[in-house]
Amino acid sequence: MIRWFTSGFSARRSRHGLWGVPLVIAVALVAILSLGTDQFATRENLFNLVAQAMPLLIAAIGQLFVILVGGLDLSVGSIISFSTAILSLDGPAVVLIPAVFVLAAAVGLINGLVITRMGVHPIIATLAMQYVLLGITRILRPVSGGTVPDLVIAAVQGSVLGVPLPLFWGIIAVGLAAKILYGSRFGLHLFAIGGGVAAGMDDAASTYGIRVGRNIVLAYVASALFAALAGVFLAGRIVSGDPNVGLLFELDAITAAAIGGTQLSGGVGSLHGTVLGAIVLALLANGMNLANVSPFIQTAIKGGLLLAIVGLQSRKKMGL
Amino acid sequence: MAHPVLRRLAAVPPAYWVFALLLLTLWIARPNMLNPNVLGIFVRQVVPLGILVLGQLLVMRVRSIDLSGGGVILLINYIITSRTFPEASGLTFVALALAIGGAVGLLNGYMVARRRVSAVIVTLAVSIILVGLVQFLSSGTPPGDVPKYMNEIFDIKYGPLPLPVLFWLGCTGLVWLVMQHSVYGRYVEAVGESAEAAAFSGVPVERTVVLAHVLAGLIAAVAALVQTGSIAVGSVRVGLDLPILAVAATILGGVVFGRGEGGVWGPFFGVLSFALLFVVMTVFGIDEAGKLIAQGLIILMAAILYGTRAKRG
Repeated sequence: MIRWFTSGFSARRSRHGLWGVPLVIAVALVAILSLGTDQFATRENLFNLVAQAMPLLIAAIGQLFVILVGGLDLSVGSIISFSTAILSLDGPAVVLIPAVFVLAAAVGLINGLVITRMGVHPIIATLAMQYVLLGITRILRPVSGGTVPDLVIAAVQGSVLGVPLPLFWGIIAVGLAAKILYGSRFGLHLFAIGGGVAAGMDDAASTYGIRVGRNIVLAYVASALFAALAGVFLAGRIVSGDPNVGLLFELDAITAAAIGGTQLSGGVGSLHGTVLGAIVLALLANGMNLANVSPFIQTAIKGGLLLAIVGLQSRKKMGL
Repeated sequence: MAHPVLRRLAAVPPAYWVFALLLLTLWIARPNMLNPNVLGIFVRQVVPLGILVLGQLLVMRVRSIDLSGGGVILLINYIITSRTFPEASGLTFVALALAIGGAVGLLNGYMVARRRVSAVIVTLAVSIILVGLVQFLSSGTPPGDVPKYMNEIFDIKYGPLPLPVLFWLGCTGLVWLVMQHSVYGRYVEAVGESAEAAAFSGVPVERTVVLAHVLAGLIAAVAALVQTGSIAVGSVRVGLDLPILAVAATILGGVVFGRGEGGVWGPFFGVLSFALLFVVMTVFGIDEAGKLIAQGLIILMAAILYGTRAKRG
């Protein structure tokens, strides 16, 4: 236990990555905010915080799957916008909600197949997908509007026994991801594939009988599905479809994963680290709002934090 | 693809195909659009992108990426238009821009090559910092006007050829010379092929990558100056989508991470293709949504056609 804990502070010899740093930052932020301001530890603010953090948390978990195999998914933001646009179409909830996930899975499948079968670099493939999806979203919903099924709104806003519903979304998403990553063969294979990619041998895992291509495709499907889940959540929050709501979300998701110790070269990263990364970003935004820090300098601070944290994680590979 | 002629044809960067196809479409649909004056105006619009691409292709050939160009362009545009330095002359602005670009490039290069941090993350973080800085300095409100003389220089034309387009051609030629005929160009090629092999052959790998990033930063600064000349009033959003577009144009031009068959002129035609794509789309009355879809599909098709021959990089 102690060994596992200390491994979070060392960039070496751990496939979980440097997740101790965001933990310390998160704890420090909570301490400073609850002692320094009166508004932080209020029920209302914590409700808000959870609801604000949730889409980023869910999207970042999805991003983790593809980063673990040494990939990157730049289509996350467009999938989120696309999902809200689909949900705001006229139609019964029983059709629209499954449609979002089926379409997202198809997007992930295309991403994965283009990358594994056609030999296209992940950045290029998912960037192209981003353009295409943004275009389709603009056709479906040129400007924000429409209404989202009541079921989605009810599942996002409101609370059960005093616990805000968004918290359940987070618990379900994290639980699901934990089962996939740490409780399934697929999850283990992702780490194995990523380890090979990071060492410069893309097919190392296949010598151990792992179907590399198929698992990478599934990682992109998982990323797209989590992005769609984030999209559904956001749609419930803004109550309408918005073609721009997911803009640059993929970069925030990558930021959260990176702050959580996930390495972009693949094979190193953890679910708890990614969750902590998303929490740090949310606390930072929330705390600086409470402390009346200009919203404009918040962006710069976020970038500086990202640079400082990844600066601690040196690796062998140079480049992307 | 066994036939040597077919193989040779498949090695031609997609940008040339796309460019020829778009030109043909335009020629059939609206022959009257194909006059130098009209095209000159459209091509002039993409000159900042075209210059930024020169830096992007340099870093992509050493298997890195630079997403910080948008932040550099934004900051330089802000400094010039906000009159932070009211007494500054044009040359001061040029020097200031190059200093900023060089410093950002040096930071990128140091983090990527020496600290071995992911280039995507580093340049992304730098861009976030620069954008945040400009938003903070400007409090979100647009800065002032662009100095008149900058617009005037941008508007100069020699016959049908606008000065910015000539400048772009000159810059591209310069980078081509460096890549083709200098030791540094050979280093870049070697590092792109295989960093390990290059290191064993005595190539200063880290220095090559750092210098590539510094050059990319300087080139981004030049792109920022041209971009500023192209607009009348400063903005806090200018140039933010350019780095991603630059990546797309570079790929279209046949330069993929580590592989550079497209040379310098491939990406040049990649940018021209984007310019022409907008002309064709406008001619056919296709809206923003259609443009995005077409752009995505073109990038995807180009990457697929071009990528099937090689293993994933």
